[in-house]
Amino acid sequence: MSALEVWTFRLLVVVALALFSVQMATRLRLVAAGAQNLRWDRFPERFRQFLVDVVFQARVIRAKPWVGSAHLLVFWGFVAFAGFTAVESLRGLGLLDLTETHWFRSYRVALAPFAVAVLAGILFLLVRRGLFRPPALGQTVSKESILIGVLIATLMVTFLLDLRLEGGAERVNWWVHMLVILAFLVLIPDSKHLHLVLSPVTVFLKSPVLGDVPNLDFEREEVGFETVADLPAKQRLDAFTCVECGRCQEACPAFATGKLLNPKKLILDAQRAMLGGQLDAKLVDVFDDGVLWQCTTCGACENQCPVGIEHVPLIIGSRRGLVSNGEAPDYLGPVFNNLERRGNIWGLTYDQRDKFIASAGVETFDASRHSYLVWLGCAGAFEADYQKSLRALFEILHANGVRFGVLAKERCNGDPAKRTGNEYIFQELATQNAEELRQAGAKKIVTSCPHCLKTLGQDYRRFGLDAEVVHSAVLVSELTSHVHLAKDDEVTFHDPCYLGRYAGHTAEPRALLHRVGAEVKEPVRNRDNPFCCGAGGGLLFEEHESGKRISQERLDQLQATGARRVVTACPFCSIMLKGAQASTQSSTEMVDLISYVNDKLRGEGRGAGG
Amino acid sequence: MKIAVCVKQVLSREATIRVNDQGTWVRDADAQFEINEPDQYALEEALRLKEQHGGEVIAVSAGPARVTQVLREALARGADRAIHVGDDALVEGDAFVVAAALAEAIRPEGVDLILTGLQSDDQGFGQVGVVMAERLGMPHATIIMDVSLADGQVRVKRELEGGWFQWVTLPLPTLLTIQSGINQLRYATLKGIMAAKKKEIRAVRAEGRASEQRIARLYVPEKSKQTRVLEGSAAEIAKELVQALREARVI
Repeated sequence: MSALEVWTFRLLVVVALALFSVQMATRLRLVAAGAQNLRWDRFPERFRQFLVDVVFQARVIRAKPWVGSAHLLVFWGFVAFAGFTAVESLRGLGLLDLTETHWFRSYRVALAPFAVAVLAGILFLLVRRGLFRPPALGQTVSKESILIGVLIATLMVTFLLDLRLEGGAERVNWWVHMLVILAFLVLIPDSKHLHLVLSPVTVFLKSPVLGDVPNLDFEREEVGFETVADLPAKQRLDAFTCVECGRCQEACPAFATGKLLNPKKLILDAQRAMLGGQLDAKLVDVFDDGVLWQCTTCGACENQCPVGIEHVPLIIGSRRGLVSNGEAPDYLGPVFNNLERRGNIWGLTYDQRDKFIASAGVETFDASRHSYLVWLGCAGAFEADYQKSLRALFEILHANGVRFGVLAKERCNGDPAKRTGNEYIFQELATQNAEELRQAGAKKIVTSCPHCLKTLGQDYRRFGLDAEVVHSAVLVSELTSHVHLAKDDEVTFHDPCYLGRYAGHTAEPRALLHRVGAEVKEPVRNRDNPFCCGAGGGLLFEEHESGKRISQERLDQLQATGARRVVTACPFCSIMLKGAQASTQSSTEMVDLISYVNDKLRGEGRGAGG
Repeated sequence: MKIAVCVKQVLSREATIRVNDQGTWVRDADAQFEINEPDQYALEEALRLKEQHGGEVIAVSAGPARVTQVLREALARGADRAIHVGDDALVEGDAFVVAAALAEAIRPEGVDLILTGLQSDDQGFGQVGVVMAERLGMPHATIIMDVSLADGQVRVKRELEGGWFQWVTLPLPTLLTIQSGINQLRYATLKGIMAAKKKEIRAVRAEGRASEQRIARLYVPEKSKQTRVLEGSAAEIAKELVQALREARVI
């Protein structure tokens, strides 16, 4: 290389690095200015998710195997090329020339298949984006993405040509290759390709628990996120990491039913507000009108996100900021007052629960005699339909010799308050419930409500409850492993979000159904990626839902399986789907899982077999 | 606009009620308490009036130290300050004694408007408000469904019987007893609760006045169930059933 070439290259490298650094500094400063909530605890779990989701790209591939695999090729190609780029840069800068070493020659040859793989991958992705473009990628072709795609392809072509070319042509080729790399450096920070740099960190920093919303610290006068400035570091990092793939948008039940909420836009709105210097803007103004209250907290967006963005804590955090100022939607006011005064969402008095317990003949929990504490929940105390399911659970437990009791008094576990951002009421309820459960000495708790499962099992850890909490589907599945009834029914199963997605219990309900003779016809969106029933996040209480009702959309999906019977395992899914069914007057039968199983066990197929 | 709202602490509906040893009232020690529901609507109305017209809302409660809990709740919902009229004897005081104690505490404040709930969930006399108005020399109106302020006067809608309403205009200062359910209650916000910790609850002593009424005996109503089997031909049974239902005043 001539001295002129070396000096030109040096100058260009300095300029490119400066442009890169300035743009990066803006973003990193913004992240650093947020309240510190970057967590490094639970290292093994975090390392595991880094390995699975970054190194092996599992989340990218799982939902979209073709696109994901193409991306895997490009990703691994990039990693493989790191050494090559470093060596060529060192030579270009005139610092050190390793290009004639034996190992570099071998490395170059070994890179050839990677280059072909990247080329294949990127061409596939370019064609998909440019010609077919799924709606989630946006209304128009992103010019930036096409440019980046072409640059990547150019890098690979120039690399492959380099293996063949000699003399002047080789020099030109070298310059093209290096200029593209420098251009790339300059383009990255202000594009979605910043995920190349940030996503490995974001994935590592993501909570190992889906929808993990830490408590507010009242001592430090925390009230939730009110303005853009209130966004903590992880939420800021999330906003800059977004790769705009739109998988969250595709998974979101609110977006799918014509509501304004789009999880992807939510994240990008936060990014835009930060880069636009609107730190004092209220989040409620930064986001589209009303979208914060359209989220069911089903967790589909967060669970789909390949780059580790946590949408649920952002939404709940922003709700908290509103609720702390008395700006919750009107329909939540009575719910909050009911929870505060009566300890349940319906504002009823607990003598109904007492009557139910008395008529079901259930004992008060006594740690010396009972192995399980059955947590009834709001629905168990007050919802007649759901009480049938609990009676079925009691019968199954009795029949299998499981000794159990219930608390003499219970309050709502606080899930509706937690997910709607009323942290004050949540902590009041959680503190009292956790204390009473501890005092009762319960080591194992079983509940039929997936929301109680998540709240008691995970959120209550922060209130000192360390009892094992299981869903009745899991316990009953363990108790009935010997049962094998002949197939005599076809059903479809609606996975509750808080059971299938949050808790990962997808096999147990199916095993149970299979065992009692029911063949499960799977609906679209099943197992750990179910389509929400529309009840979560306080939307059970919403009066007027814009767009199509989420419950109706889900019922349609379930009916499309052709099964006459819909089985579910959550009192709130039950309420929503029954509501949708009543308004369409369909003949589909709604059954709770445990009721269904118990009927089959008792009648050996006569009861519910029909 | 200076508004005083009287809030009473009553037994919680969730509480298990036990009669005290003298058989005159409920055993305090193991009871749970809450804010009297009708008073919540009075407080909400006061807060809304303040939001429209500016001014100050003062929550006032009479009773032992435990009643400061309902004052804290009122402060958390937006009352500016509170007055605790302290006297343990007020728990068993009659409406006249309680009204006198509240009136003396409110008098020096020179308020424009006093709001109370229509009645209390425990005794349900519905008297404290009107007796207070009399003692303070103010006009009053009861069972109020709607309040609007204009030109130093207050126009209210009263609920009469049989679906009838009455509109009345009163001069200020005046006292209104508020019907439950006339507005949607706000919830206590985190910011309100934090702010409430810094707000003043001023304690005043009630002058010891003897009740003129006393509760002779308090007892839990007894429930009983009777089953009667009717026999005979269908016609006879039908006749007897109609007769029995008439006696039971079902039809």
